Order: sequence, then structure tokens, then C-alpha cells
Amino acid sequence: MKIVAVTACPTGIAHTYMAAEQLEKTARKLGHSIKVETQGAMGIENKLTESEINGAAVAIMAVDIAIEEPERFDRIRKIKVPVQAAMKNPEAIFAQI
Amino acid sequence: MKELLQKHKQYLLTGVSYVIPFIACGGILIALSLAYAFQFHHVDAHGAPDISQCPTFVQNVFTIGVKAFELFPAVLAGFISYGMAGKPGLVPGFVGGFIAALPQTVDGKSASAGFLGALIIGLIAGHVVNLLKKLPMPKIFKPVMPIIIIPILSALAAGLLMLALNVPIATIMVDMGHVLENLQSGSQVFLAMVLGAMIAFDMGGPVNKAAFFFGAAMIQQSNYTIMGACAAAICTPPLGLGLATLLSRKRWTEEQRESGLAALGMGLIGITEGAIPFAAGDPFRVIPSIMLGSMVASTIAMLGGVGDHAPHGGPIVLPVVDHRIMFVVAIIAGALTTAAAINTVKKFTEKSTPVEGAKS
Repeated sequence: MKIVAVTACPTGIAHTYMAAEQLEKTARKLGHSIKVETQGAMGIENKLTESEINGAAVAIMAVDIAIEEPERFDRIRKIKVPVQAAMKNPEAIFAQI
Repeated sequence: MKELLQKHKQYLLTGVSYVIPFIACGGILIALSLAYAFQFHHVDAHGAPDISQCPTFVQNVFTIGVKAFELFPAVLAGFISYGMAGKPGLVPGFVGGFIAALPQTVDGKSASAGFLGALIIGLIAGHVVNLLKKLPMPKIFKPVMPIIIIPILSALAAGLLMLALNVPIATIMVDMGHVLENLQSGSQVFLAMVLGAMIAFDMGGPVNKAAFFFGAAMIQQSNYTIMGACAAAICTPPLGLGLATLLSRKRWTEEQRESGLAALGMGLIGITEGAIPFAAGDPFRVIPSIMLGSMVASTIAMLGGVGDHAPHGGPIVLPVVDHRIMFVVAIIAGALTTAAAINTVKKFTEKSTPVEGAKS
């Protein structure tokens, strides 16, 4: 399955990237293809394009803050979780898909 | 109800995430320029650093730091409101926050609504914009809504409200200052412990910033000891954890030992966030350990009369600190406490394999 994800924590120097890594690792393990956009202190990195979002089945939003350019995700099904959840128990998130 | 609170927490954190670099930049530049003044004896009759006697370049650095720091209520309120209402939230949030930063005179003392005012007005501005968005509008007015009608109406609402709230909120800040000045030593220790615990609890998050802003606001009231206690507590979580990885290498993974060095560096420049990579993978053991260390540091600093003249913490502010030796003692004691606590807890709760999953 094609999945897109966004991670964003308040400070944006540690949790954001750790959550992204966990999501990527877990997706690989479960045989999904995933692209994770990080919105940390550096701003948007690994930005998701319009076509990547439209081509995905679901968007995982592991965010504790309001993200930048949220309107890109208006037309896709979203699973919203705290950043902590993506770091600690990413399997549970994928189980909701 | 719970969901509503959750959402508001998210709005506040959005504001905090944008304001952190402003605070770090302003705090460090102010600390550096004050340090220069102290170092080269540009001090006034009371022994406080006097920037006006410094070379122009140092004065400029100080001005830049102060301006970066002064922007924080505006940026904080602006992005709280942005988190809530999107782009149209920026105008009333920034305007309201900027007004919260205006200096007020309360009881003959200068004060401002600052951080507290910015939090409140940011949330209100966001709500106002969201309400205005729902106004039924004839079609021809639609295009002018986001660029004329919403900004003007919401800025008026947030601005008028903040102008009315400025003095009451500033009064609260001044009253807090009075209460603190009159504290007996027993309650001073209690206050220092609370501040220390808050500083370490979320490592740079909203609880940490609440304690920090309190200390910074008290600097304006010429009470430097609150910030002194905070300054010692701010750096001990990363310093203590970094130290722990050095003292007991086999209890930590390769990656954690690497983060340990980074944490030491962050601790030296007073960035509590350096502790996050450790706490994230292992919060139940790490957070109590760093809280304990920070409480020890802030208490020693408070009892030792450590005062900090710059709104920043860690060894980097040493030159602008009163009672420097006690400041150093407080930091060392706090860091050692944290290191001992976490290594002891690890010793008793795990066999030999380090916990995976904590890396930066």
C-alpha cells in the first residue's frame, strides 16, 4: 500500500525525526511503501508533492502542532496521532489502516 | 472537553515551536554582550553591566539580541493564532502579542503583560478569526474577507482587548515579583525546587518555558535570583545525561554515547532540549532523574544567592552571573545528581542490555 506521512513536534530537533524514522522502518517491515515529510525546526523537509499525496491510500499525521500547508491533505483519509505514538508504538498506527 | 483541551494545547505548542529560535538567539546574544561588559569592567555604580560603556560592536550585538527577544510575545501570539485559524490568524495574533509586549507602569515599576498576555491574546485572536470566518457574507464581499475585513475586525478586537488587559496582567506579574521578594528562605527553597522540576520536566516544552519566562520577567523587576535558579536548572538535564554516558559506558548504546557528547555541548550553551533524545526513548527513568538533578541545581543556586542578568541559562551565562562559584557548584551538583540517579536506576531495572530506540 502507498502511504504518506507528516511528522512535527514543538521543538523540531529530535522527536520529529525519530518519529519519521520509526514510521519508515515499520512500513518497510509490513511491506508498505511510505514517504514521510518532516516539519521540524528547519521547516518542511522531504516535501510531499501533490501527486504523491493523491496517489496514496492514507496519510499518517504524527503531529503535536498545527502543520504548514495543511490544505494539501484535504482530500485524503487521515490518521491523526501524537508524535509519541509514532515513536513508541508505530505498529498500532499501521493496524488502523 | 478533553478533545478541546488537547486542541488548545496543540495551538499553544504551535506558537512555542516558532518562538524557540527567537528566544535562543536573543538570549545568547544578550548573554554574550553582557558578559563582555562584565569581563572588561564596564559596570555602573551598582555593579550591574553597563552596555553604554562598551564598544559600538558590542552595543550592536546587545541591541540585536534585545530586539530578537522583544519579538517573542508577538511571534508567540501570532503563531498560536495561526495554528488555530491559519493565515488569517496571523494579523490579530501578531498585533495583540506586540501590544502585550508594550511596557506598562505598575506601582512605579516598569512591567509588561509579556508571555502570559501573549498566550491569552493568541488564543483569543484565533477564536475571533474562526468566528469571523463563519459570518454569512454576500458573494461580492468574499474576496475582500481575508485581506481586509477579517484582518481589520480581528485586529481591532484583539488589540482593544489586549490594551484593556495589559495593566491587569502586568499587575499580576509585578505582584508575583513582590511575593517573591518577600519570601522567607524556607519558601525560597520550595520555589527553587518547583522551578527546577518545571525546567526539567518537558525539556524546553511549555512547562519549561513557563518557568523560564517567569525568571526572565523577574529580571525586568530587578530580581535576578529567580533566573539564577532557572539558569542552573536549565543546563543540568543534558549535562547530567551526557555525564552519565561517560561515567558508565556499558549501560548505554553506541548511539546513546554519541548523543551524550552532543548533549554535553548543548548543556554548555544552555539548551535543555539536548536531553530529549534520551527522554524520548525512556521517559519513565530519564525524566525523574533529570528533574531531581535540576531541583538540586536550582535549590543550591537559590540558597547561594546566584543571580543571572541575562534571560538564558547554562555555563555560557557564567560571566553575567552573581556568585559565580555557587553557580558552578550548583551545576556540577545537579549534573552529578542526574548522572548518578539515571545510572543507578538503570542498574537496578535492567540486566545488561541497553534500551534500544533512543537516538537523535
